[in-house]
Amino acid sequence: MDRTQLLLSLSIALFALGLLGVVVRRNALVMLMCMELMVNGVVLSLVTFASRLGGNSGVALVFLVFVVAAAEIAIAIPIVLLLARQRRTLDVGAYTVLGG
Amino acid sequence: MDLLTLIVVLPLAGFVLNGLLGARFGRGFVNVVGCGLPIIAFAVALRCCAELAASGGAPQIASAYTWAVVGGQAFEVAFWFDRLSAVMVLIVTGIGSLIHVYSTGYMKDDAGYARYFAYLNLFLFFMLLLVLGRSLLVCFVGWEGVGLASYLLIGFWFEDPEKARAGKKAFITNRVGDAGFLLGMFLIYHALGTLELDRVQAAFAGGVPLTLSADLVGLLLFIGATGKSAQIPLHVWLPDAMAGPTPVSALIHAATMVTAGVYLVARLNGVYAHAPLASEVIAVVGVATALFAATVAVAQTDIKKVLAWSTISQLGYMFVALGVGAYGAAVFHLYTHAFFKACLFLGAGSVIHALSGEQDVYRMGGLARRIPLTFATFAVATAAIAGVPPLAGFFSKDEILWFAFASDRGGSPLLWAVGAGTALLTSFYMFRLLWLTFLSPSRVAVERERHIHESPPAMTVVLVVLAIGSALGGFFALPDFLAPVLPPVAVRAAAERFETPLMVVSVLLALTGLVLAARLYAQGPARAQALAARVPRLHRLLAGRYYVDELYDAAITRPLEWLSERVFLRGGDQWLIDGSLHGLVTLTQRAAGRLSRVQAGGLQRYVLLAGIGLLACLAWVWRHV
Amino acid sequence: MMEALLLYLFVAGALAGALTMLVARHPMRVALALIATMLSLACLYAELGVHVIAVFQVLIYVGAVMVFMVFVIMLLDTRDASFVQRYSALLLPGVLVAVLLAGALGVLLAQHYVTPPHAAVTADFRLQSFSAAFLRDYWLHFELTSVLLLVAVIAAVAVIKGRGERDG
Repeated sequence: MDRTQLLLSLSIALFALGLLGVVVRRNALVMLMCMELMVNGVVLSLVTFASRLGGNSGVALVFLVFVVAAAEIAIAIPIVLLLARQRRTLDVGAYTVLGG
Repeated sequence: MDLLTLIVVLPLAGFVLNGLLGARFGRGFVNVVGCGLPIIAFAVALRCCAELAASGGAPQIASAYTWAVVGGQAFEVAFWFDRLSAVMVLIVTGIGSLIHVYSTGYMKDDAGYARYFAYLNLFLFFMLLLVLGRSLLVCFVGWEGVGLASYLLIGFWFEDPEKARAGKKAFITNRVGDAGFLLGMFLIYHALGTLELDRVQAAFAGGVPLTLSADLVGLLLFIGATGKSAQIPLHVWLPDAMAGPTPVSALIHAATMVTAGVYLVARLNGVYAHAPLASEVIAVVGVATALFAATVAVAQTDIKKVLAWSTISQLGYMFVALGVGAYGAAVFHLYTHAFFKACLFLGAGSVIHALSGEQDVYRMGGLARRIPLTFATFAVATAAIAGVPPLAGFFSKDEILWFAFASDRGGSPLLWAVGAGTALLTSFYMFRLLWLTFLSPSRVAVERERHIHESPPAMTVVLVVLAIGSALGGFFALPDFLAPVLPPVAVRAAAERFETPLMVVSVLLALTGLVLAARLYAQGPARAQALAARVPRLHRLLAGRYYVDELYDAAITRPLEWLSERVFLRGGDQWLIDGSLHGLVTLTQRAAGRLSRVQAGGLQRYVLLAGIGLLACLAWVWRHV
Repeated sequence: MMEALLLYLFVAGALAGALTMLVARHPMRVALALIATMLSLACLYAELGVHVIAVFQVLIYVGAVMVFMVFVIMLLDTRDASFVQRYSALLLPGVLVAVLLAGALGVLLAQHYVTPPHAAVTADFRLQSFSAAFLRDYWLHFELTSVLLLVAVIAAVAVIKGRGERDG
């Protein structure tokens, strides 16, 4: 298995682990971090292909993804903060307003 | 529009006009429309008879419109007018018009005056369809229609649940008979491909068509006639039908509707000529009904009920005549019976009117002097029905008894003997009625005594006309008139010499009945009641009408009700249909409950489901790409 | 040879960090594990030759995003119910789906991977060329990202402020 394949497998693994973490962990902040893990996995595959292709377009795209991820985390964390303040806990099991 | 269609349409117009506008325009309008149109119809019928006479009896055919064309076969609403039709139409429109006029007096204080005349005209329309129809289909429409009109009129005072129930009973019992009629019709159509009466007769004239059993058809049609003409076992509705107004009883349940069965059999004489089994059944049922009804009539105390059972008995006579092939004699008795029975019923109506609603003969008496005109006409009609010569009933009844004895096709001394016994009973109970109502000392309640008055002219004139008809009608030799259409039956050679002796016996029976009744009831019911006390069980059997109603109730009505309640209502409707619907609802609710957990707000659950969706997409891609 | 070794090392590091994230109880440890993963990834990018991205990974992702995350973890009391019970009710189904997903993608990768023709890409991934290209060819995207960041700032302020007003 050559380098590209290895890195792509790693990418798949990171993505799956991130998804698992979102589903499995109870802490809201940990869930956020697992989402970041998923993004990183995808970015890895993006960079792998970009490095093969050459040119600047891939690199620019990765850069833009970073910016968007930063913006996203900037919003997500205040939301979690407010949620934690209102519910007095970070346990997502306690967020049961919708009921059912 | 040709004359035949006009005869039929005039009463229909009366129904529509009175039904829609009668209540608004008042009594005068209702009278003019309700009585005028039938009288005009009678006049038109006379005109058609004149044309018939001019053409020497050739049948007139008129086609009103084509009802349906089904696969190449056209079902037309067409009318057929020959001698038999002429007789029937004249009876229906003539006596019908008279009873309409009578009703203007009898029903004058009733709130439903317009509705009454509308229904009465509706009845005339359907009855005319029945007797004028060329095809069995049109005849059947009329058949059902008169049943409907009868239901509407019996239950005319429907606020009283008893009366409404009587109407229902009549309709439902008729429907049982109609099943037989329909089956007979289907068989005829299936074998012959046509329902037109003249063509059916022609088909049978050449011998019985091979694919059709005349006996079966005859029996099935007779079942229909049993229902409509109140023979055993479907006679139970007629006594209850007395709940309707008296003119209705006179018109529908004496003169016209109940004779529809007789007309049907007479009209299809070609079929019955080749159906010896069916004819024998008809004769036996007829004579049995006649005797049965006569025995019951002896013990009844309601004036209208006596007349109702008398009607059943006389209809039995007509069927005896039909059963032995003497179709002309049957129609002759139909014709005379229309006169005297209508006169009797209307006379009873006059009595009831005079006594402000009393119908129990044990509380009547002494009315001969108080309402002499009613008495006179009632007496004439009673003598007619008893068979006292030379009144009409004598001729027709004697004719029937003669053929019952002597006919080549089923006549026998036994049949004659039962018929003669019934004649004796008829004479007895009719004169019993006459004596108890008019000639015995008065037992009328004091408060009614004061109000006894003769009926208004609208009623008495009709009574007189009918009484004259009962007296003189027999002199018109109807069987000979109808002979081209209803061929007379041959007489057994050995029996011919008995003709005059039998006639003498008939007269003697009538007079014996008169004498017996007079002796027993001259002073009122006391002597008879003492006699009845000596045979209590027999008396109770007769007064209870042989408990036939109770038998039907136990054997048919209760099981049906049980079936409806338990099986169909609880089992079928509630458990099965409601249950499955509710089950469906419950199922949906439970499923929805379970499904709603998908959207229960569990964030991680959503992500998991997204992951599963992603897997599904990948699987699809793997398969298809 | 050295390259291959380093490659495997950093791959292992990334995986180890990811697994630790799933297993660790304290959110701070989870954050540190994630930082480790990200640094490993940065090294991998460097090894691929895409130095620009490696630098940006460290600067932006680790230096801004994760710092912010650590800051929030320290701010909040994280010893609550989720500390005691780490895993939700969906542990087993989650593992199953994740394994299947990874498996499916892995199978796809194994079956359809085409070894590219040997074209030694001598790409220039240095900062200068990147910057020039970025501001020349992708200037619109650049502007749009600045708008996006502005929107994010406003949104964050609105979220905190609006809530505050209603609460107060």
